[in-house]
Amino acid sequence: MANAIESNWEPKILAFLCNWCSYAGADLAGTSRIQYPPNIRVIRVPCSGRINPLFILKALQSGIDGVLVSGCHPGDCHYLSGNYIGRRKSATLKRFLEYLGFEEGRVQFSWVSAAEGGKFSQVVDEVTQDIKKLGPAKRFVKREDYRGPGAKGSSENPKNLNP
Amino acid sequence: MEERRKAIQDRIREEAKELLSKKAVDLIIGFGEWTLPLRTTPIFVRNPEGADHLIWNSFCENNLATYLHKFSHFKVGVVAKGCDARSIVALSLEKRFKPDQLYLIGVPCQRMVDRRRVKKAVKGEILHAHEQGDQIIAEGEDFRTELKRDDFLYPSCRVCTHRTPTQANVLVGDPVEESPLAEAHPEVKEFEKKSQEDRWRYFEKESNRCIRCYACREACPMCYCTECFVDSSNPKWIEKGFSASDLEFYHIIRAYHQAGRCSGCGACERACPMEIPLTYFTQKLNQDVKELFNFETGIDPEAPPPLSTYQTEDRQEFIK
Amino acid sequence: MKLKLDKKDLGSFLQNLMDEYDLFAPVQLAEGVSVYKKIDHPGEVDLSTSNPQKPAKEVFFPQSETMFRYGKSGKQNEMVSTEEVIRERILFGARPCDIQAVSITDEVFLGKEYTDVYYLNKRKTTTIIGMACDHPLSTCFCSSTSGGPFLRKGSDLFFTDLGESFLVELLTEKGMAFLKNKFFKEANTKEISLAEGIEEKALKMTDASVPVEGIDKRLDLMVESPFWGRLHEKCIGCRVCTYLCPTCHCFDIMDETMTNGGQRVRNWDSCLSPLYSQETSGHNPRPTNRERTRQRIMHKFNYFPKNFGRAACVGCGRCILYCPVHFDIRQAINWTSAKRLKLQRGEHSTNP
Repeated sequence: MANAIESNWEPKILAFLCNWCSYAGADLAGTSRIQYPPNIRVIRVPCSGRINPLFILKALQSGIDGVLVSGCHPGDCHYLSGNYIGRRKSATLKRFLEYLGFEEGRVQFSWVSAAEGGKFSQVVDEVTQDIKKLGPAKRFVKREDYRGPGAKGSSENPKNLNP
Repeated sequence: MEERRKAIQDRIREEAKELLSKKAVDLIIGFGEWTLPLRTTPIFVRNPEGADHLIWNSFCENNLATYLHKFSHFKVGVVAKGCDARSIVALSLEKRFKPDQLYLIGVPCQRMVDRRRVKKAVKGEILHAHEQGDQIIAEGEDFRTELKRDDFLYPSCRVCTHRTPTQANVLVGDPVEESPLAEAHPEVKEFEKKSQEDRWRYFEKESNRCIRCYACREACPMCYCTECFVDSSNPKWIEKGFSASDLEFYHIIRAYHQAGRCSGCGACERACPMEIPLTYFTQKLNQDVKELFNFETGIDPEAPPPLSTYQTEDRQEFIK
Repeated sequence: MKLKLDKKDLGSFLQNLMDEYDLFAPVQLAEGVSVYKKIDHPGEVDLSTSNPQKPAKEVFFPQSETMFRYGKSGKQNEMVSTEEVIRERILFGARPCDIQAVSITDEVFLGKEYTDVYYLNKRKTTTIIGMACDHPLSTCFCSSTSGGPFLRKGSDLFFTDLGESFLVELLTEKGMAFLKNKFFKEANTKEISLAEGIEEKALKMTDASVPVEGIDKRLDLMVESPFWGRLHEKCIGCRVCTYLCPTCHCFDIMDETMTNGGQRVRNWDSCLSPLYSQETSGHNPRPTNRERTRQRIMHKFNYFPKNFGRAACVGCGRCILYCPVHFDIRQAINWTSAKRLKLQRGEHSTNP
């Protein structure tokens, strides 16, 4: 595994942060000048319950190395029960993906409140370390770039069963 | 066993005749004989005389609940095994039809025979097959093989623990003993022992055979979206081509969309022309939903769908 | 003069061909499931099934095919064509039904007015080695569709399985190019008469009774028949029959856009999908399954015969074997026969 990771490979991690808690928590980390790894790209969603498994799969398919979904603590959801529903969906999806063979740790979940700037940076740090250990995402990735004459595009890959 | 099957068949016909004569329903959806051995076909009976075409045997493998969407403007009587009845309960929870539109003829199921395994167990084409007691007699041009029925059941039937419909208008047989022939979801437990690498390779190999015919989707009673995610062009989740990733994506999401809704009937697997073992997905999801949320599809008609409700004490050990 | 190929030489024969040709043959993907694929080594070839699930049309008309790519390479805009077929090809082991189907798809893709260059390039570079059907299934009705288990038309070479060897017949100019193939030996009279016996037996096995003859005229009278309202009932509208059918040829062309370019892809499509006929306005001329199943039957047995003089069905029976709800097209064809039509109006709906 160590050979596969070049010393200068940095994982790309997508973080879905709920607007009311986790995103605010991330803001607080920033305004408090708390350092955390720059690998995450943030997508703000109204609530962690908004997360559709299609988003997570599309991210993994696009070559994202890891996904973090973060929401309000149970009981604190701005929409009262969104994070509870999100919790159930997350649990089901995570177990299913790992059962199918996705590496454990590629998709992670957290509760971060608006006051937890410190926790946010800690979570990001942990997730980044975990993904670094797992290496670049290879399973499920689909090529999405055009690269000159004769380049293999997104619909052609070695496993294409058609003649 | 023979007598039991015949008795059920007679009762189904009786029930159908009565319902149709009284015009309590517009049509009855059940099983009939057709041209191939080891198979039945869904039939749609509108007159009492037609009820004699209804049959019952171990090849009644389709989930007839899938036709409720097509016949939603009619009053329909449906012959339903345990799994089919559970799908119907799940559908009524999702308000897919009005309660007085449906008359459920519940059949305590003797488990269905896997016709593909039977075909593979003999050399040559099977031209005739029939059940006799606890055996399947398969005959071809130059062979006659007797097979023990219990060795050739569908995987989803072997693990079934709810063969008797719980919510039927009428039960046409005595309830059956609900012990499964195999430990609940054995494939899942076996599979989970493999390494992540092996599991991924297995998933890749099986899902990459997919030809996107959507037989699984159409055979499933719970797949009734007017626009399926595969047909969405904005946002376009997956292409219509054959990248391995898109094939895997399709199967992951189609299975996931059944979480908390799937009755484990196995219609998807039986419909697949490429013999992809689709129940290895659905069994895992059903097992997880049971473990995490204490929910089994179609058992309690009052229980809300698990992914649209919550308990404050739901498990969250995986959340940082 | 008839030739033969010993089965023990089959592997070497195929390997030898692969030096010059891309070889397409039935390959097993799982027990009981096989498709036509380009093979990497002769051991992949699986001739044990009566017919692979996916038909041979795939070799000329792939299920998913890139038509061209476009994008930016540096500052330049580029378009890269993908229509060329670089190596000559051989289709090995196709049954006469699938080969007859190729002549049907030829009508569509190699018409007088329009020629599909993707299909043409593959078609003209392919030599077809047909495999006689020595043991047709009970669902085979090729004899009803002007075909047969030993139909040689369309094959460049024709093999018959004799047990220890294959009888080899060179039928066309392309086939005759193999006359000097080092693996072919001369067949003796015993082998030739063995082949004749197998042929005689096979010809009796397929169903010649399905009334495909004249069906187009019968269907002309039936466009608004209540027959269709009953026929479609059990169809769940999946695409198994259309994708596994060797003559079905509907397709959809899509652009797949990527980060800095994209490609145009042609994929198989199915008239049984509601989206197939959905118009941009929202109107759908085939709004329900009834219209779509009617369309499928009419296309195969009425419109196609009107355009090309024959039904677009070769009697391979795949639609019967693999339909999840056991729709049987032979029954549908039978019911169009005039006598039955009168009867069915009085009958209950289990007999549409």
